[in-house]
Amino acid sequence: MSLPWSSYRLRLPLSLSVAALTTAICIALAVGLQTLHNLREDQVRNAVAQGHAMGEVLVQALRQDDVWSAYSLLRGPGGASSDAVWILVGSTGRIFASNYPRRYRLDQLLADALPWLPDQRAPGIAAANGQVMLADQPDVQRLLRLSLQSDGIEVGELLALLSDAPYRPRLREILIGGLLATLGVLAVVMPLGWLWGRRMVAPLVRLADCMARVGREDLRRLRCSVPAGDSEIGRLGGHFYAMVSALAKKEALEQQMIQSERLAAVGRVAAGVAHEVNNPLGGMLMAIDNYRRTRHLDQPTVQLLDLLGRALQQIQGAVSPLLVEARGDGHALTQADLEDVRTLVQPKLGKSGVALTWEVVLDAATALPAAPVRQLLLNLLLNATQAARGGGGVRVCIGTQGAALLIAIENTGEPMPPERLAHPFEPYPETRPHQTGLGLWVCYQIVTQLGGRIEVEAAGPVTRFRVRLPLLAEGLP
Amino acid sequence: MTRMSRRDFLAATLAGVGSLSLPALSEPFPLRFGITPVMPDDRARFLGAWSGWLAAQLGRPVVFVERSRYREILDLLLRGQIDLAWICGYPYVQHRARLTLLAVPRFRGQPLYQSYLIVAADSPARSLMDLEGGLFAWADPDSNSGYLYPRYRIFKEGRDPDRFFRRTFFTWGHRRSVAAVAEDLADGAAVDSYVWETLARRHPEVVAATRIIERSPQFGFPPLVAGPALAVADQGPIRQVLAGQGDDTAGRELLADIDLDGFRVEGPDLYVDIARMAEALAVQGLS
Repeated sequence: MSLPWSSYRLRLPLSLSVAALTTAICIALAVGLQTLHNLREDQVRNAVAQGHAMGEVLVQALRQDDVWSAYSLLRGPGGASSDAVWILVGSTGRIFASNYPRRYRLDQLLADALPWLPDQRAPGIAAANGQVMLADQPDVQRLLRLSLQSDGIEVGELLALLSDAPYRPRLREILIGGLLATLGVLAVVMPLGWLWGRRMVAPLVRLADCMARVGREDLRRLRCSVPAGDSEIGRLGGHFYAMVSALAKKEALEQQMIQSERLAAVGRVAAGVAHEVNNPLGGMLMAIDNYRRTRHLDQPTVQLLDLLGRALQQIQGAVSPLLVEARGDGHALTQADLEDVRTLVQPKLGKSGVALTWEVVLDAATALPAAPVRQLLLNLLLNATQAARGGGGVRVCIGTQGAALLIAIENTGEPMPPERLAHPFEPYPETRPHQTGLGLWVCYQIVTQLGGRIEVEAAGPVTRFRVRLPLLAEGLP
Repeated sequence: MTRMSRRDFLAATLAGVGSLSLPALSEPFPLRFGITPVMPDDRARFLGAWSGWLAAQLGRPVVFVERSRYREILDLLLRGQIDLAWICGYPYVQHRARLTLLAVPRFRGQPLYQSYLIVAADSPARSLMDLEGGLFAWADPDSNSGYLYPRYRIFKEGRDPDRFFRRTFFTWGHRRSVAAVAEDLADGAAVDSYVWETLARRHPEVVAATRIIERSPQFGFPPLVAGPALAVADQGPIRQVLAGQGDDTAGRELLADIDLDGFRVEGPDLYVDIARMAEALAVQGLS
């Protein structure tokens, strides 16, 4: 598997390594520089002490022109391996001795040997006798000047040229040591970082995979294992989940609205058509009736009129359910109205072998027209009984809550097929032969006209219809 | 005969005549022997062994007195504070009236040595004349090989030995002169051939940084001389012991330690050349 450089699975261990490396280099640098600083201080302190210690003998050597003893003192037991370059200068400004005689020759003018050296006679410098000055030379970083005096008269000057050169190898050792230690740490950190990176990134990868499914799949059925928890990634997962839920809700709402509009349109068309058919139908039936009463008819005519009347009544029977008229006349709904419905359905329940649980409590007359509510309840109850036939059960719960009537009817038994569940209130005449298939459609029309809501939900073998009808504000007679 | 047995013998003798004896009284006066840097450095162990051997031979303690400058030993010798000393031929000829030659060491079969003119191994100089205007290390103002001869050599070239070099200084020792040249403190130096050869054998790394560019004629080797304090009667036995050192096993080992063959009694004529050079320079006021 090849990973892009932008992958956190690479960037995390690399970042860890860079951090470790940077830290180690910083620490090594700090330690190295501190060591260098300490060594420099020691060097200066030693040089000052050594210079003062040698002063007396060097004064004597200068006065007695004893080059060798001055040289052997400056050279010391270590020969020319000393850290400092010592230069003894006579009062004439010429070099008298040095521990590096090859470079600082006897009798050479100091001004020629060290052209960058400020003049000793300059006022500020004479005051700084025995002080260490900084020198900005490639091989000299610090400079000590000691005036050598005999009886108050200057007989010469001792210079110590101090350099960082002896300490550079030590500094390099510290840095290399730090680097090696870091590489050792990196050998451990890199695999750990790799594992950690994978662990950290895994929920993000899952989230990304899940996001990729949005738009391709039904949001309401989208199931992802998104990360949870208080961490940033957990919060991201939570927000993503909330967003998906909101989207799903919005989609459902849109679908519902589309459905409502469609049902409303179908309802209007159906009612219009039913009206148009019903009106002449009524006229024709009345005409046949009149004709029969006012004329004396022979047998074939009577048979023909009966045939016509039955056919027209059949048409009327077929069309009338389309003519839902919720706001008709009528009285306010009472418990008795509902009990009537129970009585009406009882034979069918017995025939279908369905057990009914009846939990209807209506304290007083309710501000809803009784007729449409009775029809609504009857349709729903018949529908439930039909679904529960052959050993199922039906449960009816009705009550008021605030300014609304709540009806819940649930049944066990054959569940609604999914395609039906998606559009439960559309007419399905073809599903049940010998029936109009308009029962639920009528229910929907009634509820809508009463300004309420109806919804269906299915959970396993249980199908439940819930209706909420707002009570009429103006009341009913 | 060892020193202890002799002391026992003396004590026994004195006890025999019935006199109370104290060791301090019975102890003979030690022979005071001055040593100058004509010998190679690091000689403490050798001097300890040599004083033991000499004391045993002479029947009296021998005390070595060391000074870093020839002049100090010479002063002690002339003032009678030491009995004899191993000095250079140059101070001998200067004070020969008051000094007596006891013996002369033999180096490589002869009582002779040379002055070597040395420069740093990487120096381009090929002769003394190339060192003009340079830095030069003298060994000691009372040294023949390290001072008198090179000055005479310059003088014979018609130059002023005091102005020939830009700057000179004294190292107070031949070995130090070698070091001064090896470490580039001086451009050149004149050293005792005996010291240089001994160093070359014992410490080749020291002389490796130097190169001999001139060798002087042979001169009489730095002699062992008696000062006014040494009784004439004592001179004979001392000459005898020194001359016989090469025949004694322990004595020969000691001689080998300082790269000498032995000691021989020589006449003052051996130092005629040195005396002539000293005189020539003294006439010019250059000594």
